[in-house]
Amino acid sequence: MAGLSLQHIWKKYPNGYEAVKDFNLEIADKEFIIFVGPSGCGKSTTLRMIAGLEDISSGTMKIGERVVNDVESKDRDIAMVFQNYALYPHMTVYDNMAFALMLKKTPKDEIDKAVREAAKILELDKVLDRRPSQLSGGQRQRVAMGRAIVRSPQVFLMDEPLSNLDAKLRVQMRAEIAKLHDRLGATIIYVTHDQTEAMTLGTRIVVMKDGIIKQVDTPTNLYNKPDNLFVAGFIGSPQMNFIDARFDGNDLIAGGTSFEIPLEKVEVLRNGGYVGKTVVMGVRPENVYDAKAEALCRLTAPFEAKITVFELLGAEVQLYFDFAGASMSAKVGQGSRAAVGDTVSFAFDVDKIHVFDKETEQAIVH
Amino acid sequence: MKSQNERKRTFLMIAVPILLLFFMFNTLPLLRGVMYSFTNFRGYGKFDWVGWRNYIDLFTDSRVGNSYWFTFKLALVATILINILSLIMALALNAKIRFKSFLRGMYFIPNILGALVVGYIFSYIFTYILPAITHAASMLADKNWAWVAIVIVCAWQSIAMNTLIYISGLQTVPEDVYEAASLDGATGWNKFRYITFPLIMPFFTINMVLCMKNNLMVFDQIMALTKGGPAQSTESISFLIYNNGMSGGQFGFQSANAVVFFIVIVIISVLQLRFLNKKEEQL
Repeated sequence: MAGLSLQHIWKKYPNGYEAVKDFNLEIADKEFIIFVGPSGCGKSTTLRMIAGLEDISSGTMKIGERVVNDVESKDRDIAMVFQNYALYPHMTVYDNMAFALMLKKTPKDEIDKAVREAAKILELDKVLDRRPSQLSGGQRQRVAMGRAIVRSPQVFLMDEPLSNLDAKLRVQMRAEIAKLHDRLGATIIYVTHDQTEAMTLGTRIVVMKDGIIKQVDTPTNLYNKPDNLFVAGFIGSPQMNFIDARFDGNDLIAGGTSFEIPLEKVEVLRNGGYVGKTVVMGVRPENVYDAKAEALCRLTAPFEAKITVFELLGAEVQLYFDFAGASMSAKVGQGSRAAVGDTVSFAFDVDKIHVFDKETEQAIVH
Repeated sequence: MKSQNERKRTFLMIAVPILLLFFMFNTLPLLRGVMYSFTNFRGYGKFDWVGWRNYIDLFTDSRVGNSYWFTFKLALVATILINILSLIMALALNAKIRFKSFLRGMYFIPNILGALVVGYIFSYIFTYILPAITHAASMLADKNWAWVAIVIVCAWQSIAMNTLIYISGLQTVPEDVYEAASLDGATGWNKFRYITFPLIMPFFTINMVLCMKNNLMVFDQIMALTKGGPAQSTESISFLIYNNGMSGGQFGFQSANAVVFFIVIVIISVLQLRFLNKKEEQL
């Protein structure tokens, strides 16, 4: 296994379109890195550049200590699991998994051992003589994983490997991939647009937008301390509520309500010169409370809003309402008796209010 | 019920005339051909029934034997040559190159020209242009080389269609399978050997069978280039059947030849299909 170093990587197409802009990232050995972002953000392009399937327009890419900019895919010692699995349709599961080793002229008994071991890990031992067309989606996905595993490559690349599976199987395979990472101790770079996958699998997550890295951090930090509005809105489902608020020097004023914030945050805002200015207040739905219900945290002053949508999600309830010109949501307990059209009194957890600069969209304080 | 009857009527209105035409111009002549193969009909006048005599004579006639030898030699060489060249052409025309559509159109032109036209053009090339360049006698006049000229013309014309079929085959291979192979360490040749060729095997089968059949029935090119010469060295079976059957007074005898030839082509095609189908991967 090996780490990776991506320094000032750019991908510019002949028509001038810049898919990846100045991408800088150091990936440690055995790290599970997730590239996440909306469609067209450049995450798959970056992965394909690492794989050698796309040329790098400029910058330096290293796998271990070796610069691989001009090294062909076949010589990079990396394995990739494709979104559509890209299995060889005319080969059996066994041959699919053995193909890379066969090309390397590995002795037959070693190939056999490697394939059967991987098949055992992935519970494919009973379907080794079948062709991909005779397998279910989940089995095909596992064959694609197996094909990567048998090679023991330096780096595993996975391009949305679970996106073609149904919801239940996706959850199951997600757990399998996590286990596999622990078991193999492999360096994995995983592309997804599913933030649940990103949050549950990654040791670090790279959030991308328009070819630019918006933040690289651990899942916890991304969730609790997003660097900017994009990351704050992208990570978390339903997304963080954003309300334009004026800072009066002590409180944040929005929709006629004065929301108090902790003193240390007040200091940061004062020192940043935000007094009298409009900022963006961010509150996650789970930090919006029914003001009349008992809360274990310190709440802001309450405000009233009319419920527009009521969603029962099993263990909890999602309430949607409009406040201060913004559409907001609150995650409340199953016991909530609110109904569509009811006016409910809400309050925020004082300590969980994030503040962002309205102009630069950068976080000011969490 | 009414609409079902109407549908049936429409079906019959379309099918019956076609069936009648097919029977009149295909089945009936075929049956008459089989009938004449048991006669000593010369193409005109009276005839007598001769039983299996024509069929027995076929196996002792050296001219028929030579035509079979020539036809099989030509068909085999041309089929192999055409398939190798058209596969190479298809790979080139399927690559990321400039003016791909234009080049594909250009390379397809030979297929839209009539075989006789092509034959006459090549006849001119072989008779006048090549000897002027090489200062040697025309290939067409040399009984050891005339068959090569016919192979060249057959190949030149057939490559177009075969290339087109191979291109459509190559387009069925997903790009990400090649990418996966690259990451697995496959070189260009590895990719062709282990990925491309097995995946286009069904197209290889159809090309081999059609090509073999077409080359076994070679006629126009011979008509235009050599008329069976020199010294009957390029007399294909079809040409012999036509030449001796129509103007040689051997209508009955050549009908027997045609029946045997028909059976031979069917057997070869079926054997080819069976053999190649076994090689095809079940995708």
